Amino acid sequence: MKKKQLIKKATPFLFISPWIIGFVLFTAGPLILSLIMSFFDWSIFGNPSLIGLDNYVEMFTQDPQFWKSLLLTLKYAAIFVPLNLGIALFLAMLISQSIRGVKVFRTIFYLPAVVSGVAISILWKWILNGDYGILNYLLSLIGIQGPKWLVDPAWALFAVILASAFGVGSMMLIFYADIKNIPIELYEAASLDGASPTGQFFRITLPIITPTILFNVITSMISAFQQLTLVMLLTEGGPLKSTYFYGMFVYNNAFEHHRLGYASANAWIMLIIILLLTSFVFKSSSAWVYYGTELKTAKGGKKK
Amino acid sequence: MKKVMRIVLVVALLAVTFISGCANNKQQGDNSGNKSNGDAKVKIRFASWSKDHLDKQKKLVNDFNASQDKIEVSLETYGDDYDTKITAGMGSKDAPDVMYMWNYPAFYNGLEPLDSYIDKEESGFKEKYYDALWAYNSIGNSVYGIPVGFSTHCLYYNKDLFDQAGIKYPTEEWTWDDLKAAAAAITEKCDGAKGFSYKLKADPYDYEMYLWSNGSGYVDKDGNLNGSINSNQSVEVLEFFQDMQKEGIAVATEGEGQDEMSSAKTAMFISGTWPIDTLKKAGLNFGIVEIPAFATSGQDSVSILSSSGVSISKDSSNKEAAWEFVKYWTGEELNKARIEYELPVLNSVVESEKLLDDEYRAPFYSMLKQSSGYTPTSFVIDHWSVLKDNLELSFERIFNPSTLEDVKTVLDEVAAK
Repeated sequence: MKKKQLIKKATPFLFISPWIIGFVLFTAGPLILSLIMSFFDWSIFGNPSLIGLDNYVEMFTQDPQFWKSLLLTLKYAAIFVPLNLGIALFLAMLISQSIRGVKVFRTIFYLPAVVSGVAISILWKWILNGDYGILNYLLSLIGIQGPKWLVDPAWALFAVILASAFGVGSMMLIFYADIKNIPIELYEAASLDGASPTGQFFRITLPIITPTILFNVITSMISAFQQLTLVMLLTEGGPLKSTYFYGMFVYNNAFEHHRLGYASANAWIMLIIILLLTSFVFKSSSAWVYYGTELKTAKGGKKK
Repeated sequence: MKKVMRIVLVVALLAVTFISGCANNKQQGDNSGNKSNGDAKVKIRFASWSKDHLDKQKKLVNDFNASQDKIEVSLETYGDDYDTKITAGMGSKDAPDVMYMWNYPAFYNGLEPLDSYIDKEESGFKEKYYDALWAYNSIGNSVYGIPVGFSTHCLYYNKDLFDQAGIKYPTEEWTWDDLKAAAAAITEKCDGAKGFSYKLKADPYDYEMYLWSNGSGYVDKDGNLNGSINSNQSVEVLEFFQDMQKEGIAVATEGEGQDEMSSAKTAMFISGTWPIDTLKKAGLNFGIVEIPAFATSGQDSVSILSSSGVSISKDSSNKEAAWEFVKYWTGEELNKARIEYELPVLNSVVESEKLLDDEYRAPFYSMLKQSSGYTPTSFVIDHWSVLKDNLELSFERIFNPSTLEDVKTVLDEVAAK
């Protein structure tokens, strides 16, 4: 009988063992290895030598680019997260209306998020071209002389933010799913009491979807800090390093300057920063997130 | 029995999942580090960065495989991010046996020195190649790659725009002042076109040739920046380019400059051999000539060499076989076969194919002759990647139309680092 019991207990683990092994080999293992590497002077060639905390000390005291890239990425995240959240929420509200053809719009709004990062970069490189780009052409139709988006250091960051708005589709979908779950009784009751649509939005919709907002804030914050593909292909960190995000800083340290130990240290500092910010957001969430019980009666969002 | 069946099913499922995941790895494992034992073919991995001529390259590799039965070469096409992939390969001691190479200073630690292999060949092996190329394929006194192609830089000019402005075509006697005058005239007389263009993000490796042409360089022969990068001659060069932009007769291009050239937005630009195909396809009526000289320098212009070679990985377990393939790939047959897209490096091929009479190719060979005896800074100093970063940023500060910073100030900053 012991054997049978053992097999019974072991079977679930056997089933998930491929995933566990994959996780250990490809995620946890490299994670720990990179932590170890960050204490070494580890070049691509030659032998690594243990230097303790020297990489971290160098990063904070002798490398001005570290601070520049960090502040730049923080600035980018500070603009990107609320902007994307706003756009996603706005679009989600739009597609939760019961109008004819809303399903078509749902697909159209989600489509850009499906396109690969590389394709998006190439696309936007042409749209943002100073002389032949479509964006400047459209602006010229309303009489504005568009700047050279990818050449002028003052505008390049904004150009990257613009291009990264393409990924808003997934957040929009998550918002939409949550909005759809809000029971209509709440809206009906509110409109009976004379609440305007805006009032309904701010007093009913917004509070109820705060858990989703929390989720989206955290995930988009994490992806903002890790932004690399777009910036590498669109601007290569330029012009004049005005879009030299932290991700590029780490990548270049590893593959241009061949300093794997230093790059690992960089990556771990980014991990710690994201960890701190995320836990801060979580802590603050008790103040503004409302985990009400959901009444599952009729489906659907707003119905006029 | 039911329980036994369930267990068998679980184990079978797991086994299938694992095997299908590991099958690919096994194949790759077989290819690298195979030991030759009598009948079995030695397998060599060959990495190329070509994007446009893959079919031709595949055919040449297949021809080699078919011509003998001791070595089998598999072509790996890396395309973009070639350097990153080679870096990753070398870092994991899994670099391809044979690979295209241009960035010797960065990668020579992972390459096999080839002097001993060359010495075993018939005498006169090195002399078959253009002399200037060996310096670009070696570090110190060791050769790390056999030259397979090269490009110098020349001046391209749009014949139609020159005709329109009524100016004579550039010749090899031209100075930069002549070019400036022609650029000014073309900008004036041809609507919507600028006389000259250069890259906004000037490649520091390439750009050193302008400093050489004016008698200076990034560093002196001991590797010191101060007094070289910020010498009067260096400042003069950069200011010359910057002034052309300020006066509106030149434009700093976001990309390589080929697009502006093919759409006749600029009349002249300087580049290697790569745009020739694109410009021909665009139907442009263009000519190529040597780069102008700086009038006050008292010397001919000098060009940077972008030389590519094939190298052998230090960690390869089949170096002899790899050497056989390297000889094939850099031999006469293949120099001829690649003539459409790669300038031959063997003296004999240049003669037999009469390349010095070809109007599109001859200027590159004459620039090659004018450019021997110069070693790029990347081969001289240790931390080229850091200097390159600084230079890139500095050039941007000087050439970006939104900044156009003072040249002497910027260069002094570079020298101070």
